[in-house]
Amino acid sequence: MRSLLFGLAVLLAPVAPVLASEVLRISAIPDQNPERLNRLYGLVASELSDQLGVKVRYMPVIDYTAAVTGFRRGDLDLVWFGGLTGVQARLQTPGALVLAQRDVDARFRSVFIANRPALQGLTPFSSIDELSKLKGKRFSFGSESSTSGRLMPQFFLAKAGVQPKDFSGGQPGFSGSHDATIALVQSGAYEAGALNEQVWESRLKEGKVDTSKVLVLWRTPTYPDYHWVAQGNLNKRFGAGFTSKLQQALLNLSPDQPRQAQVLELFGAKRFIKAPVEQYASIESVGRQLGKIR
Amino acid sequence: MTPAGQMLLPVLVLLPLLWLLPQSIHSGGLDLLLQFWLAALQPSLDPQVLLSALRGLGITLAIALWSWLLSLLLGCAGGLLSSGLVSQLLWGCQWPAAVIKRLLALPRSLHELLWGLILLQLLGLQSSVAVLAIALPYGALVARVTADQLDALPVRPLEALSSAGAPAWSALFTALLPPLWPQLLSYGGYRLECALRSATLLGIFGLGGIGADLRLSLQSLQFHQVWTSLWCLALVMLLLERVVRWLQQRWQHPLASVGQRGRELVALLLCLGVLLIPSAQLLELSWQQIGTRWQWPQALPLWDIAGWNQPWLPLISTTLLLTLLSALLALAITPWLLVLLCPWKGCRPLLQSLGLLARLLPPPLTALLMLFVLKPGLLPAVLALGLHNAGILGRLLLESLDARDCRASQALQLAGAGPRRSLLVAGFNAVARGYLSFGAYRADVILRESVVVGLVGAGGLGVLLLESLSSFAWIDVVPVLVVYAVLTLMGEAAADAYRRRLLQGHLPLEGFKPAIGP
Repeated sequence: MRSLLFGLAVLLAPVAPVLASEVLRISAIPDQNPERLNRLYGLVASELSDQLGVKVRYMPVIDYTAAVTGFRRGDLDLVWFGGLTGVQARLQTPGALVLAQRDVDARFRSVFIANRPALQGLTPFSSIDELSKLKGKRFSFGSESSTSGRLMPQFFLAKAGVQPKDFSGGQPGFSGSHDATIALVQSGAYEAGALNEQVWESRLKEGKVDTSKVLVLWRTPTYPDYHWVAQGNLNKRFGAGFTSKLQQALLNLSPDQPRQAQVLELFGAKRFIKAPVEQYASIESVGRQLGKIR
Repeated sequence: MTPAGQMLLPVLVLLPLLWLLPQSIHSGGLDLLLQFWLAALQPSLDPQVLLSALRGLGITLAIALWSWLLSLLLGCAGGLLSSGLVSQLLWGCQWPAAVIKRLLALPRSLHELLWGLILLQLLGLQSSVAVLAIALPYGALVARVTADQLDALPVRPLEALSSAGAPAWSALFTALLPPLWPQLLSYGGYRLECALRSATLLGIFGLGGIGADLRLSLQSLQFHQVWTSLWCLALVMLLLERVVRWLQQRWQHPLASVGQRGRELVALLLCLGVLLIPSAQLLELSWQQIGTRWQWPQALPLWDIAGWNQPWLPLISTTLLLTLLSALLALAITPWLLVLLCPWKGCRPLLQSLGLLARLLPPPLTALLMLFVLKPGLLPAVLALGLHNAGILGRLLLESLDARDCRASQALQLAGAGPRRSLLVAGFNAVARGYLSFGAYRADVILRESVVVGLVGAGGLGVLLLESLSSFAWIDVVPVLVVYAVLTLMGEAAADAYRRRLLQGHLPLEGFKPAIGP
């Protein structure tokens, strides 16, 4: 009997109420390695906590869909979304606000890359129509919900008359991340792929790309991408004016202060700027065209 | 054909695979693969990485522990309710048990990953999602096994007690618990190992734990960080498997003093109980939230006909082909390696460590590694699923070979037969039925698992599912889930029929010693 009671007590332990003062829960779509994500958002959390005087907690999420779902359900308060996921999240969450973007995000690009030995006839081109040369090739996007690794590349491919079923095998691959796309195209598993221009440039700079094996075929025109999205109820929960204080804190991050400089460097940005919400109308319409927003 | 012959036959699967090989191989990623294996020697010891890996491991273990416990509770209750014997005794008729048995097939029909993705939508981001996602299908599985075992027990003692006037419940416990108990203990230990593997896999798809570290660091090619997580996971997995096996062996035979097993069991339960509270805290588990945070997605078009407009034939046939090839591959690998290598002394340790490695790497990650040297398509997917399951089947094979009566092979060797011949004749013939029946059961699991390797471009239902989930297109998600469930139930029935024929009426459990022994 005693062991039965003990068992019952153990089972009921998780029912004890969690004493929670309001905590600002921040998160981000996972587009980097975990060590870097933890470092970056640990810094962001302590910076915001110091500036705003509230508890800030980084909630790691490793799936784009899970990040959008968490935001819709109110489990996350402030999330660093990509273009598409941000629009998905705001459409599913009434009242959500766009707070800021990086200086680079208003004019973001993707690059199409190809394996040199496999596609010897292909040279870099400047006209979008030449994307049709990728028909019948093994082609990989990044993650299913990535704006720069999937949505916009697929949009530009469609403009050039290339549908996903035109690739070798009747479908494109989804490598899961920008780094994996580079690796899989460089190795020749896929003959071509598309990814985030910023990641491409920084891997080039770090010397992690073998340019004798991979080349850039084409750079896309610009489009808006990553941005911070916040819940609409923060003023109610944290006090009047909290949302604008939060926005200011993001916009004020400056390279002159050591910790803030580290944050900016890890984000690959010089500073954060205001993000006009209208600019994402184009992403929404592309998302609807390609069936990623229903 | 001799049983040993049947065991070696699945190797024919190599013919189509070898035929696929030349057109899918490429050498471009050999250096990457080499880097990956070299990194095993130098896992990253950066405190941040190590801390994150340990924390992730803690969460994975906590998920495994809680989901395992819940599944056993659900399973025992469900098993009692769906056993014809119990039903007859309590209500005087068998149909309630039959109905409950049918109903329990539903939670079982979906892979725990699919449960996780569904529950994530319904319950939001919280770790109870992962716990429930494993507990529901596992619970239904344990229930089925318990019911099968209950109905296979001799009914005489029960009848004797009942006719002597014992109340129904006490008659049940007195007559059935003692013979059932050791079997359930042994099976329960095996389920804990499965729960650990499932919890790791769920992490890969964003439901918390070390799977997250594994996937993100592999995708960003940080191999040293990948190995930090892998070594931690390997250590825990090995330890768990050893402890479970040791306890199973210890409790299988009567111990020296009466009641010793009971005392040891209570001690073990206490240890587990002490672990449960901190792990609930680590997970921030809260049952209230499960009740209150339930939320149906808005405007869920459950019965909209438009979602059913999919090219089902190629989708289903790809999924089935993938399942069949992987299952055969998983069956063929270990017996053949044993036959080829058995004269060599290092054979067993080699197979054991290869098996551990195969079980350790979740299939989606193996698939990504495969792409470093193979072109996308069916082959990398088959290899990823096949190797992982070969690791699981292989361990069972090695253990059942150890557990068998060795006098026959000793006699053969004394008579001058070589190690190969004695392994084939005395070893394989003795364990083949058990092995093949596990294989049939495993094929059924592989069908459920085929959803997880969608990412290598092999096609099939998994790709469609992940794509429609990432578009929040419920209209497409529901039909895929229904088709998956139907396929799985059919697969389960087929596997059962095969096993029944193989064992002529006696259904053993996977991971369950007495069934394979002599």
